[in-house]
Amino acid sequence: MSTQQIQPPTAAPAAAPAEAGTPMLSRMVEGLSGRYRSIPVLLVLALIWVYFYSQNSAFLTSGNITTLTLQIVTTAILALGVVFVLLVGEIDLSSAMLSGVCATVTAQLAIKSEWPLWVAILGGVAVGVAFVGAEVLAIIFGVPSLIVTLGGMVILQGLLLVVLPPEFAINVAGTDYAKISSTYIPSGWSLALGAAGWLIFCATRYRTHRERESGTSPLVPVGVPALVSGVVIFGSIAVLSEGPGLPLPVLILVGMLLIAAYFTGRTRYGTHLYAVGGNREAAQRAGIPVSRMVIYSFLVLGVCAAVAGMVEASRLLAVSNSSGGGPLMLNAIAAAVVGGVSLFGGRGTVWAALLGALVIGSINNGVQLLGLSTEVQSFATGGVLILAVAIDVVITRGSLLPNRR
Amino acid sequence: MPEAGELLLQLSQVSKYFGGVRALHEVDLELHRGEVVALVGDNGAGKSTLIKVISGVEHPDSGTIQVRGESVRLETPRAAQSAGIHTVHQDLSLCDNLDAVRNLFLGQEITGGLLRGRPVSRHRMEVEARQVLDSLAVKLRSLTTPVGGLSGGQRQGIAICRALISDPSLVLLDEPTAALGVTQRAEVLDLILRLKAQDRGVLVISHDLKDVQEVADRVVVMRLGSKVAEFGRGDYSSSDLIAAITGAHEAPRTPEGIR
Repeated sequence: MSTQQIQPPTAAPAAAPAEAGTPMLSRMVEGLSGRYRSIPVLLVLALIWVYFYSQNSAFLTSGNITTLTLQIVTTAILALGVVFVLLVGEIDLSSAMLSGVCATVTAQLAIKSEWPLWVAILGGVAVGVAFVGAEVLAIIFGVPSLIVTLGGMVILQGLLLVVLPPEFAINVAGTDYAKISSTYIPSGWSLALGAAGWLIFCATRYRTHRERESGTSPLVPVGVPALVSGVVIFGSIAVLSEGPGLPLPVLILVGMLLIAAYFTGRTRYGTHLYAVGGNREAAQRAGIPVSRMVIYSFLVLGVCAAVAGMVEASRLLAVSNSSGGGPLMLNAIAAAVVGGVSLFGGRGTVWAALLGALVIGSINNGVQLLGLSTEVQSFATGGVLILAVAIDVVITRGSLLPNRR
Repeated sequence: MPEAGELLLQLSQVSKYFGGVRALHEVDLELHRGEVVALVGDNGAGKSTLIKVISGVEHPDSGTIQVRGESVRLETPRAAQSAGIHTVHQDLSLCDNLDAVRNLFLGQEITGGLLRGRPVSRHRMEVEARQVLDSLAVKLRSLTTPVGGLSGGQRQGIAICRALISDPSLVLLDEPTAALGVTQRAEVLDLILRLKAQDRGVLVISHDLKDVQEVADRVVVMRLGSKVAEFGRGDYSSSDLIAAITGAHEAPRTPEGIR
């Protein structure tokens, strides 16, 4: 497994023009499989946006973009948990149902038992972590995660009916619970938060550059990321502030993404996570506690599922026996994969959750906006998913031709 | 024979069974500082099992392992590492999705404070990685490329450099010259001698008897799970080795080589 190498497409038929262009191409494939993995995703996203905007200019209004962000938040938070599980080379099918159960438990505690909201939220998160903890025990004993979480999903379907009251629904409208999704951060505050985040980003970037003592000008290695991140941060805040403001769920999502990005990208925990996904035996031999890393990943998924469920419940103003059902699970997995996380483990970043959810959410939103039938939505989402995995396979294999290793 | 230095590793009467299969049978082995010991034998002779026992991957069913005179139980690879034993496996054990620096420091990253979530000190790791790679003349286009895209020689170089990061007193090399070109093979043999010059103990598994004769101070021959012969540098010929490996002189059951 570890000995096979990705052959750069050398002077092979059809892979590339056989002249000097080949190292360039192999370098490009190398870059796309590594640091610049999100560029094709961004291109696809841009294409989708341009297409829908050309069909209906209402697509890129701040009102519709606010709606879009609220639509994708649940998928993105759940996808973030799925990313952690995919990175260690496992899969999960139960987290969407788990999000429904956690949201229901929180609703029961907050509304029926009238506990303070934060205690109820902690209760919901505890349920999520506990259930996932039980699943991961079976997984580290060697039962394939596909089977464990498939069984877990079925159990959770039953569990949802147990925790729901006899009328199979709890209305949360008008309670503090519903305020999670209907709170908007005033533009002044969101600007201040964005500016603080941007300054911290630029400062760390500059410090890393100075530490290297390479003597080169900081213009390109610091300036370009600073410019790009500044445009993204202040651009999105400006667009959202034109509407009702920055929705609290988006802030929760961004906060979770930043924490996840820090831990996966900058700490030894992150390196070990990728190592376990890349070559489990090598990780074991290097003294990395493989089982513990798998457990951590699933526990992160448990927290993400609980948060996603609560955000969704407060957005839909109710929990019911359909909470966590529908296409949520498949959308979350698809988002992670479309965003560039490999199903084979060890490749991709946490930002894939956001990018993939944006791609899938934009398709759904645009199709509804154009008044097209839901079939089109299914066809487009499915097509994009297959295309994304095909790209993933080509990139990890390093060639367009089949059977070249 | 000249006792080179402090006794690093001593195995006595180590046996290992896989079900009914006898993989190791009462093997004794000693290794001193500044000494290169080669482990040779045919396929299935138990060399790999012995390496696994010493590197903490497998546990012996009976017998004792002593490191620097103290009896130890090498329950995990990490335990072996903290006892100062580092293994370079034949399949290199690299993570193809990680870059050279991360592979070099895998499991022993240089990190910052606990309060900030133990961030890795990428810069310090890169500086050290460059030093180690340069000292063995391993040329890499970039330290940030995933190692899956590198050549076999470069990957071998990274795998061996990894042994030096943790500054181990004993290095186990499993078939280090297999599948290498002529120049790279010479480099690896040079590295083995360099490890020896640094006063470490080196245990090499090899199929290549020419390599063995070139670098080894002692040669231990295994056959069917047992140690059948041990030769000091210079007091054996290639045919002695081959005879011991194949068991050609086994009829008298006391080959000349055993002392």
